[in-house]
Amino acid sequence: MTIEKFSYDNRIVKNFALATIIWGLVGMLLGLIIALQIPFPNLNIGQYLTFGRIRPVHTNAIIFAFVGNGIFMGLYYSLQRLCKARMYSDALSKFHFWGWQSIIVLAAVTLLTGHTTGKEYAELEWPIDILIAIVWVAFAINMFGTIIKRRERHMYVAIWFYIATVVTVAVLHIVNSIEIPVSILKSYSAYAGVQDALVQWWYGHNAVAFFLTTPYLGLMYYFVPKAANRPVYSYRLSIIHFWALIFLYIWAGPHHLLYSSLPDWAQSLGTVFSIMLLAPSWGGMINGLLTLRGAWDRVREDVVLKFMVVAITAYGMSTFEGPMLSLKSVNAISHFTDWTIAHVHIGGMGWNGMLTFGILYWLIPRLYKTNLYSAKLASFHFWIATLGILFYAVPMYWAGFAQSLMWKEFTADGILKYPNFLETVTQIMPMYKLRALGGLMFLTGAITMAYNLVKTMKQGTLNAEEAAEAPALEKNEKEHAGHWHRWIERRPVQMIILSAVVILIGGVVEFIPTFLVQSNIPTIASVKPYTPLELQGRDIYVREGCYTCHSQMVRPFRSETERYGEYSKAGEFVYDHPFQWGSKRTGPDLHRQGGKYPNVWHYHHMIDPTIMSPGSIMPSYAFMAENDLDISSTPAKIRAMQTLGVPYPEGYDVKANDDLTKQAKSIADDLKKNKVSIDSNKELIAIIAYLQRLGTDIKASKTE
Amino acid sequence: MLKNKILTETQCYHCGENCKEESVELDNKSFCCQGCKLVFELLQENNLCGYYDLQASPGKTQTLLGNRYAYLDQSSISDNLILFKEGNVSHIQFHIPAMHCASCIWLLEHLNRLDTGIINSKTNFIQKDLHIIFDHTKTSLRNIVEKLHEIAYPPELNLKELEKSEKKVSSKTRIYKIGIAGFVFGNIMLLSFPEYFSSGKYEGEDFHRIFGYLNLLLSLPVFFYSASEFLENALLSFRQKVINIDVPIAIGIVAMFSRSIYEVVSDTGPGYFDSMTGLVFFMLIGRNFQSKTYEWLSFERDYKSYFPIAVSRLKGTEEDVVSVHDIKPNDRLFIRNQEIIPADVLLVSKHAQVDYSFVTGESREVTCQYGERIFAGARLIGKPVEVLVQKDVSHSYITKLWNQSSGKSETKSKYAHLTESISKWFVIVTMSIAVGALLFWYPTDPSRAMLAFTSVLVIACACALALSAPFTFGNMIRILGKRGIYLKNTKVLERLSNIDSIVFDKTGTLTSTGNYKVEYFGIELTDIQKQFIASIAHASSHPLSWMIANNLSSSNNKLPTTHLKEINGKGIEGCIHGRFVQLGSRSFIHVAEAQNENVKASEVGVSIDGKLLGYFYFKTSYRQSTSSLLHAMKKEGYKISVLSGDYNFEQSHLEELLEQKEGIQFEQKPIDKLNSIKELQSQGIKVMMVGDGLNDAGALLQSDVGLAIAEDINNFTPGSDGIILSKNFGQIGNLLRFAKSGHRIIMISFIISIFYNLVGLWFAVQGTLSPIIAAILMPISTSSLVVYTVLASSIKARSLGLTKMRA
Amino acid sequence: MSVILILIAFSLLVAGSFLVGFLWSVKTGQYDDDVSPAIRILFDEEIVTPKEQPNSKNTDAV
Repeated sequence: MTIEKFSYDNRIVKNFALATIIWGLVGMLLGLIIALQIPFPNLNIGQYLTFGRIRPVHTNAIIFAFVGNGIFMGLYYSLQRLCKARMYSDALSKFHFWGWQSIIVLAAVTLLTGHTTGKEYAELEWPIDILIAIVWVAFAINMFGTIIKRRERHMYVAIWFYIATVVTVAVLHIVNSIEIPVSILKSYSAYAGVQDALVQWWYGHNAVAFFLTTPYLGLMYYFVPKAANRPVYSYRLSIIHFWALIFLYIWAGPHHLLYSSLPDWAQSLGTVFSIMLLAPSWGGMINGLLTLRGAWDRVREDVVLKFMVVAITAYGMSTFEGPMLSLKSVNAISHFTDWTIAHVHIGGMGWNGMLTFGILYWLIPRLYKTNLYSAKLASFHFWIATLGILFYAVPMYWAGFAQSLMWKEFTADGILKYPNFLETVTQIMPMYKLRALGGLMFLTGAITMAYNLVKTMKQGTLNAEEAAEAPALEKNEKEHAGHWHRWIERRPVQMIILSAVVILIGGVVEFIPTFLVQSNIPTIASVKPYTPLELQGRDIYVREGCYTCHSQMVRPFRSETERYGEYSKAGEFVYDHPFQWGSKRTGPDLHRQGGKYPNVWHYHHMIDPTIMSPGSIMPSYAFMAENDLDISSTPAKIRAMQTLGVPYPEGYDVKANDDLTKQAKSIADDLKKNKVSIDSNKELIAIIAYLQRLGTDIKASKTE
Repeated sequence: MLKNKILTETQCYHCGENCKEESVELDNKSFCCQGCKLVFELLQENNLCGYYDLQASPGKTQTLLGNRYAYLDQSSISDNLILFKEGNVSHIQFHIPAMHCASCIWLLEHLNRLDTGIINSKTNFIQKDLHIIFDHTKTSLRNIVEKLHEIAYPPELNLKELEKSEKKVSSKTRIYKIGIAGFVFGNIMLLSFPEYFSSGKYEGEDFHRIFGYLNLLLSLPVFFYSASEFLENALLSFRQKVINIDVPIAIGIVAMFSRSIYEVVSDTGPGYFDSMTGLVFFMLIGRNFQSKTYEWLSFERDYKSYFPIAVSRLKGTEEDVVSVHDIKPNDRLFIRNQEIIPADVLLVSKHAQVDYSFVTGESREVTCQYGERIFAGARLIGKPVEVLVQKDVSHSYITKLWNQSSGKSETKSKYAHLTESISKWFVIVTMSIAVGALLFWYPTDPSRAMLAFTSVLVIACACALALSAPFTFGNMIRILGKRGIYLKNTKVLERLSNIDSIVFDKTGTLTSTGNYKVEYFGIELTDIQKQFIASIAHASSHPLSWMIANNLSSSNNKLPTTHLKEINGKGIEGCIHGRFVQLGSRSFIHVAEAQNENVKASEVGVSIDGKLLGYFYFKTSYRQSTSSLLHAMKKEGYKISVLSGDYNFEQSHLEELLEQKEGIQFEQKPIDKLNSIKELQSQGIKVMMVGDGLNDAGALLQSDVGLAIAEDINNFTPGSDGIILSKNFGQIGNLLRFAKSGHRIIMISFIISIFYNLVGLWFAVQGTLSPIIAAILMPISTSSLVVYTVLASSIKARSLGLTKMRA
Repeated sequence: MSVILILIAFSLLVAGSFLVGFLWSVKTGQYDDDVSPAIRILFDEEIVTPKEQPNSKNTDAV
């Protein structure tokens, strides 16, 4: 055996780096736009550029495009060096890169054109979900292949974080995306109501855990020591940190549903585990910061380290805040407000954003064998970005806290101080403007970075094939007899791939029975399936992303029952595929909306919200009065619902449209009585039908 | 860049030591010695200067190298050292004591730049091991070792290496157990919480049965694998009719487990699986924390670790190198300067200078004449000599010395531990309470009786008992380790806390080796005379002469000397400006043996033109801390005694140091030292022996606590319970105080735990203990105890000023 | 709430597979030395031809 010569693939790293920069700019720009759409509703243009449609694009762009590509950039760079091996297959690398970028583009297009599953951070429709799965598997093969072919026996802790990411994300994605296709771009979540919510937030939380955290911790454990040129403070701590995190993280989901109709115990469970998570999370932060101890002098001059310090600090803050928010008492105040928004942006801008910037500034000059074009610009970026985060977060915390208190405030004689929801919104409008400013600053910083890095690339030449040499991995002298150990060496990889497969098969096997059996939510006799028209209306509600501003979950607080009516029961959602509880109230809760206002109110409100409620910031949905409702899809939708166990009578799919037109007619007539003439085949009719149905089933059962 | 760290000019760029005036300069870097400069040049021409990037002046001062590794060319020897061959690839593992920082790792893993024959070299920093894979067609073992020596990372090569029994790999089973227990604990908690928070009832179908069985399933590996060591030990102790700490733990675990199974199967409750797995998890962590070991430090090193691997044997005229094992009586050996004589031999050359410091710790060298006997372990100084082997290595005096102290180990292991004695009571009490509860309820309500009985066993868990000692001692041993006091294991701490007598070795322990005070008695010397003597002394090869020279060299311009003549072991003479100067033993300078007979201290007489001027005496100097330490120890009521292998010419000095006459014995042979320790112990006194040298080995091992002093942690230390860096000698007092405080801390934590147990028992005896109470009580009690013990011991360390010292 | 069972099943499987990974890594001595790996990642092996100016990548800061 001799020393082997090989080369690192830097081109793929460069590609992902570029993608990171570009998508980062796009995502942040979209963020800025929606931030402005709140104080300036007229910025909601036409039917494709409303808040409800752009917001999912923003979240997906940041999480999966910006951070996603950031992960791959750092991973492809560090993994090759940690394993002293080139990536397993260039072809797979390319496929992974282009596959991922096309997913992003498809996502942007479909979401803007209203093709969404209506589940946060998992909005993409089923064909794209499948594409994601394929690309992800290709990526996994490429990564594990590299690990198997490594020339360094020890697997550095960062690699473990990468493995955790790849395996878990795959499982989460598949479990959460089980859905029944209706058409090529329409599907219904296989789960209903509470179950859907539980799965969604099991996924939702772990998406945060395993997409925004573990891979970035891996990057931190590689790039912070490299940038500081000193070993991580305590490697042992990092190992313990990893395993503790891995054994706890997967459980923390349900805390997103506190006070919801989720059973108590599931909620408490989430809380407890979220709090237990504090320890391992801070293990990481402490380790990261202490790595720089004694190097503070260098932190002062080295902008890369500056970015990293802020990133790690932000990580510490949000991982501290997370568990706090999962305390029921805190959550009672914070939930549905901008507090949550502030929290996620500390993580997103601070932890993910700043670390990505730091890595980029460190990496690009190395890839191009040159120095950074302008250190001045870089430190300008640092300062404006840091300020931007503050300008973003502080107003949002303020807004969230203030609004929540207004929602809960009663007058001396026991009636709501702010009965009109809109008041509480106009009160915090200045905060929204400030937040937009913060976003603008952050974006400006990112733009200067893009310029700075492009210039850097220009002045250098890409070192696409970085030559390296290392002796082939020798067998353990313990095992120098026989070859079985080689197999052992591969076993973890095999094990993990295998278990992933097992999980999938096992999952499928488990699902069929589970979804054929009647779900065991206490069923309320009076709760009936949606009529075809309401179903169509609901799909429009989902399409327009109404859930991004309106919740459908009245929590059992006096302040909420006063404002909205009877609190929501688990049994009311048994036919909701997907659930639409929402996570943020920019507008009021809609679960008890049904029958609150006459149809004509809804008509005018949709055409121009400000007519019915002056100062409303809701976009105008006038186009619904123009668009014809596509009723050709009704039979398919009914059939899909039937397979999901919704008790429509046998063969109802064919008769459905008769009922639909009948109901539409009656609404149109009712509007005519109020001097509004509109054809009964317009989308507007359907959405009104749905809104009027919302939460009425148990009202009916109650004797009022 | 670390490279830019500023070094004051006086510091060696390579090793960071202060350069004397004769520092060597190279491209405006200064080096303290040629050796360091050589290493730097070597690294420079091989592009290995990255070595200096990671840490400023990471090197070690390096000693110049003779052809001392020639024997490695002997296949008989190298084959013994090489781990395994495959084709033209060989693997070898060295222990490299000098490995100490990032740069070391960097350099040692880039050896292939120094020697292309080396394919790969990997370090294990914890073990200070270096694993080298090399192509033995391109390079040789000798080359590699010599390269390592050149760059000042000489590998440890000694007799021990030859008989390398499989390198001890610290067992991983406990880590497995912890991992599994932790994993199961986490998951069971997940499945148990619902029960607690939903106050037993669920919406819709009841999950608790499913969860219950799932828990049962999960807990199996914990009970049968992770907890096995507790259960087995408990059984063992039953057989031995003694109750050790594992008994109460085992009872608790079994009770919890069986009770939980019953509850789940009979659907009467969720069981205590979470408490049980948690308990096991914490216990294992405690055990692991306690078994802190310094892998790179060996406490069992015996003389073999210091013997050469090979010696050159004379066959007629030509010499060949043989492994020490193969030398037989009547072999003729050729011993070179600084080599250790591996067996008891007769001197065949005219005379030889040997130094027994290795055996006796007293570094005075002896002159042997033709036919005189030299014992194994003596180090030759000066001219090479021939010797005739009398006994083979295994029968040498030194080996016997070693074997005397064998078999003592169990005297220590029989030592009753604090926790043991308490756990006995614990078991008795809990058992009686449990039975009491059983009897109390049985008449009225049998089912409840059973409930109460098991509950008591479940809740009265011995966790405090089992955790406080490990965490206290574990933490203490770590603190001490950071401060250059390395203890073999936590048991040593327990033993330390009951020591009531301290026995010191003199030379190298109370005094510091190698550093002598030179005193002159006789006619006042004029400056010119001093210069004469200095000049002559300087010319000598003899260490004592150098000391004289240094002592006198106020003006170091040496005068030209003629007719220089040195007679080994006698002295040196020469002419300066026509004056005849002699320096050496009485016989050498022809003085009547009459005067001051009794003085046996190392002495050198000086005469000019045959006229005796006076004598230089070489007195060992005591460590500054010695007197204060001895004083303090006496004040604290320890019985102090000193055993010296030396002559008694310092008796008076010692007596005033100790402020006592008794307990000071001189001319002690190793076996005497050992016996006097035995004698003390026979009076039921717990003895701590503090010593260095091999001559203390027996005593160190015999004593209840043997503490070895070492100038440098990699130097010779005989087998012992603890190694203390000589510069921390003064801390021995604190060590004892610290150990005592540990005792106290544990007692307090027991009291705390009794409180917790009472709370638990309150529920238990009424049979109203619910799993949730257990689940709350168990973690609280354990965690609070752990926190208390660790904090308390750390605070104590600070108050003793232990934290100020550096290792 | 039957879905909780599925989630638990999945979570257990994932966690379980990582447990196996943990045991493996301990078994094969991944953690025997928990000091040098952290240091080793700082060494960027550049092929150095004897004349070239030696400097390891990681030391030139941005």
